[in-house]
Amino acid sequence: MKSISELTDFYYKTLYPVLQELEKEREAVKSRVIKLGISYLIIAAFIGVVILRYSNGEIDMFLFFCFAAFTLGAILYKYLVKGYKSTFKEKIIAPLIKELDENLEYLPKRHIDETYFTRSRLFTSRPDRVSGNDYIHGKIDGVPIQLSDFHAEKRHQDSKNNTSWTTMFQGLFIVSEFNKNFKGQTVVLPDRAQSTFGDLVGNWLQSNNFSRSELVKMDNPEFEKEFVVYSTDQVEARYILTHTLMQKLLHYQKQSKHPLYASFVGGNIYLAIAYNKDLFEASVFHSLLKYKIAMEYLKTLHLAVGVVKELNLNQKLWSKI
Amino acid sequence: MSTPLIVLIVIVILIILMYNSLVAKKNQVDNIFAAVDTQLKKRYDLIPNLVASVSKYMEHEKSILNEVTKLRAEANRPNISNEHKMALDAKMSAALGSIMVAVENYPELKANKNVLHLQHSLNEVEAQIAAARRAYNQAVTDYNNALEQIPTNILATMMHYQPKKVFEIDKSERKNVNVKELFNT
Repeated sequence: MKSISELTDFYYKTLYPVLQELEKEREAVKSRVIKLGISYLIIAAFIGVVILRYSNGEIDMFLFFCFAAFTLGAILYKYLVKGYKSTFKEKIIAPLIKELDENLEYLPKRHIDETYFTRSRLFTSRPDRVSGNDYIHGKIDGVPIQLSDFHAEKRHQDSKNNTSWTTMFQGLFIVSEFNKNFKGQTVVLPDRAQSTFGDLVGNWLQSNNFSRSELVKMDNPEFEKEFVVYSTDQVEARYILTHTLMQKLLHYQKQSKHPLYASFVGGNIYLAIAYNKDLFEASVFHSLLKYKIAMEYLKTLHLAVGVVKELNLNQKLWSKI
Repeated sequence: MSTPLIVLIVIVILIILMYNSLVAKKNQVDNIFAAVDTQLKKRYDLIPNLVASVSKYMEHEKSILNEVTKLRAEANRPNISNEHKMALDAKMSAALGSIMVAVENYPELKANKNVLHLQHSLNEVEAQIAAARRAYNQAVTDYNNALEQIPTNILATMMHYQPKKVFEIDKSERKNVNVKELFNT
């Protein structure tokens, strides 16, 4: 696997001609979006005013029009930038992933299978709708890994039969093989109760969480502050979460700067990083030549694929040899 | 219902809850000690094999090998107390550690497949023991806390519960095992 600086070099050297071409396309798409957007706004505003004038003060009709105009505008925008976005994935993200490690395969339109999400036990309820993209899979140092952007949603229905959707999880979902044998299920979640309610009440709430198995108190104060651990086996949870792994998980979470969920089920490690946005998407309003924008793609990619090295999953020193 | 009666019922319920939580904490300690014990036994079972494989080569370390054998015999005696088991475990860890260091001085041993396999098994058991010890220490801490905290301490005194000792965890154990150093590859 390549390092982040090697990747930056590759981005600005090898990919530079492609980036320049893409930059021209971006400028073109951007000006088209702005021109069309302004004309669209003017027409829509005109129709809106007409409706307001002739509907005798009935606001319903006007609101409906606003909603329709907004939806149509969003669809139009998506259509306009679609080409640019897929070119970006094909010409920038795909070569980057190949450069990062040649054993990786990239499928921009697919995502991790829903069964992995449910099997991870990270979330206690099943999602009603899942979507995602940017599926990467392969082997790093002989350790199988797969990851993708993942969005899981839950459906809610009120008494008037109106459906609404809430997000259970949106971000990176990573599945890899763990380097130790275990039988039970151990789940590491961001510690919300302890940080919201303080140690005493938070601890009590955690130990009385009926949707989870037994609470495991860890002997690393910093880790205990950031995470809460539930497991079916007190000893096994500590066999998995050694002092070193706890340190590494803390470090990994600090690097990602977003809530980190981890679980150990059926020989696998599942990691979910809640970025709360669709990753690896290009915006027509930001130049890909800018260092800050580029680094965000590179860093996220490196962090996601780097989990094998970062958590030493390639050291099969235990009973798995 | 009169107020004193309600108060009485509430107090009785609270006492029952406290009593049950104390019993649960005590049983948790015993349960986890059983897990520690299983792992310790596993390690003792590896010792005859280890001693047999290395004694041919290790001339200068005969005393450690004898000590390890003696410790194993002592641990296998029936009816030894938990405290005694814990003390034996500490001695055993130290002795095994020095054997593993000594192995490094014998190229024949380092190349020996049987020894490598044993080292690997010992490593695995050590990791399991470390996990079990940490779980035990947490259970004991919870139990000891209940013994000292108000209001469970009153009930605990009445039940004649005694505070328990935790495993002393060696500083070196907090560091992760470095495989490369261990196998010296």
